[in-house]
Amino acid sequence: MKQIAFIAVLAAIAIALPLVIGESPYFIGILISLLMMAALSSAWNILGGYAGQYSFGHAAYFGAGAYTTLILLTLYNLNPLLCMAMGIVVASIIALITGSIVFRLRGHYFGLASIAVAEVVRLSVLNFEFTGGAQGILLSDVVLWDLDLNSKIPFYYGMLLVLAVTLAITAYLRKSKTGYYLQAIREDQDAASSLGINISFYKNKALLISAALTSVLGSLYGLYIRFIDTSAVLDLRLSIEIILTAIIGGVGTLWGPVVGALLLVPLAEVLRSNVLGDILIKAGLVSETSGVGMFLKDNLAHAHVLVYGIITVLCILYLPKGVLGLFRRKK
Amino acid sequence: MIQHLLHVSHVSKHFGGNVAVSDVSFSVEEKQIFGLIGPNGAGKTTLFNCITGFYPATSGEVIFDTKKINTLRPDQVCKLGMARTWQRVKPLGSLTVLENVMVGAFSVTNSTKEAEAIAQEQLKVVRLSDYTTKSAGSLPIGLKKKLELARVLATRPKMLLLDEICGGLNHTETDTILDIIRGIRKKGATIIFIEHDMKAVTSICDQIVVLNSGEKLAEGTPGEITTNPDVIAAYLGGGHHA
Repeated sequence: MKQIAFIAVLAAIAIALPLVIGESPYFIGILISLLMMAALSSAWNILGGYAGQYSFGHAAYFGAGAYTTLILLTLYNLNPLLCMAMGIVVASIIALITGSIVFRLRGHYFGLASIAVAEVVRLSVLNFEFTGGAQGILLSDVVLWDLDLNSKIPFYYGMLLVLAVTLAITAYLRKSKTGYYLQAIREDQDAASSLGINISFYKNKALLISAALTSVLGSLYGLYIRFIDTSAVLDLRLSIEIILTAIIGGVGTLWGPVVGALLLVPLAEVLRSNVLGDILIKAGLVSETSGVGMFLKDNLAHAHVLVYGIITVLCILYLPKGVLGLFRRKK
Repeated sequence: MIQHLLHVSHVSKHFGGNVAVSDVSFSVEEKQIFGLIGPNGAGKTTLFNCITGFYPATSGEVIFDTKKINTLRPDQVCKLGMARTWQRVKPLGSLTVLENVMVGAFSVTNSTKEAEAIAQEQLKVVRLSDYTTKSAGSLPIGLKKKLELARVLATRPKMLLLDEICGGLNHTETDTILDIIRGIRKKGATIIFIEHDMKAVTSICDQIVVLNSGEKLAEGTPGEITTNPDVIAAYLGGGHHA
C-alpha cells in the first residue's frame, strides 16, 4: 500500500513538472536527459543487474534505434512509430547475433564481446554511405498526429512513458520465473543449470528485452534531437555512462538506476555548464585570473566524465551496493 | 520384475591423457538408495558430472528412464527428473532461503505463487522453515547442505544424486540428513549417494559400487562390500582412511 502511494506521488510529480516549470526549454531539456538516462540504465539493469551480464556496448542498441528511425524517416517518410518498431527489429537482430554466439561462453566474454560488437556497429555506420557516414543524419521535419514536435514537451512525456514501462517490466520480471532465473544465473551458473535453467535461453531473453527498450529510447532521442552522428549515439562513452548510472544508484535493484540518474545527470549538467566554477569565482573564493580560476573555467567543464569516474571509484570503495544499498537493511 | 531407472554402461571420461573414469557400468533400481564410494580422486564426482550433463562422457552411454541422456545439457537432464546436489555447496548467495528453493520449484511450475508453496513444503521436509527469509549466503554449512537438498527436491525429481551431502557435518547433523533421506525414499524417489563416510553409506544404502582410480572395483550390498578384501585394501592401503 505504502509503495503504491509512493509511486502515485512520484508519477503525479513527474506528470505535473512541465506545467509547473513552464516551457523553459533549458530545464525541460535537462529533465529529458534525466529521464532518458534513468530509462537507459534501467533497461541495462535487466541484463546487467539481474542476470549479471555486464554489457559494455549498449550504445549499439541505442544507435540502432536512432539510426534506423532517422534513416527510414528521411528516405521514406514513414510513420515515426513504425520507424521505431523497425529500430526494435534491427536492435533485436544485433542482440540475437551477439547473444547466440557469446552466451555459450562463460566468464567475462560477454562483456568483452559487447564492446567489440558496439565498435563494429559504430565503425560500420561511420563508413557506410546510407548512414550519412561521419556527417551524420539531419532530420528536417517530423509529424506525428497533432503533436507539436518542435516543442520539447511531447518528448518529455515520451521519455517518461518509456521509463515507466521499463520500470514496470523490471518490477514484473523480478517477481516472476524469468526474474528469479536471471538472478540464479547471476549468482551461480552451475547451480542454475543443475536446477533446470536453460542458461543461454534466459540470458538471450534478458538481452533481447534490454536491447529492445534501449532501441526505443534511441529512436525517441533521434526524433527529439533531429541530428545524430556516431559520436552522439554510438559512442563507448554512452555505454559507460549507462553502466555508471546503474552502479552508482544500485545494480540489480528496481530504483537504483533512477536514483543514479537523479544524482549524475544534474551533476553532469552542473559541471558542463561550469556552475561550480562560476559560484566559486563569484563568491570571491577564487580569483578569475588566478591559475585555479583559469583551470576551473577552462577545464572543469570538460571534466564531467572524470568526475563520474572519481564518484564511481568512491562508490565501489564505500558503497559497493550503490546509493540504494545504504537504505537496505542487511538480512 | 525389477525396474531399472538408470543404466550407466561403459562410461569413460578422459581429460587429455588423464583417465578420470574408465569403463564404469552399473544399474540402479527404482526406489533404491545406491551408494557410490571410493577414495579421494577415484572419479566419483566426475562420474556424477558425466551422468548429469556437466561433462560429455568420452565414451559410453547413460540411459535414464529409457532415454539416452549423456548428450543432453544439465537443465534438460533436470527436466527429465534427475537432480543433483553439489559437494561444494552452491547457494544463490544474495537470494533468500525461500527464493533459492523457489528457483528449483520453477522447473515444475510457471506461477510464482505455486513455486512459493512448493518451496515452503520442501523447506518443511528438510526442517529449514525457520530460515525462509535469511539470505542463503549467510547460512552455516550444515544448513546450506539442507538448503541444497530442499532446492533439488523442489524440482520434483525421480532420481536424486547427492554428492557428499554429509561432508563437513558433525554426527548429529549427519544423522538428521540421513533421516531426511530415508523419508525422501519412502515417498518414492531413487537416490544415488556419493559418500566418504563408510558408516553413513553402509547404514543407508541398498547397493554399493566402489570406485578406485576411475575403475569399478566392486559392487554389492553393504555387507558384501565391507568384507571385500579388494575394497579393504583400497581404503586402508590407499592412505585415505574413510
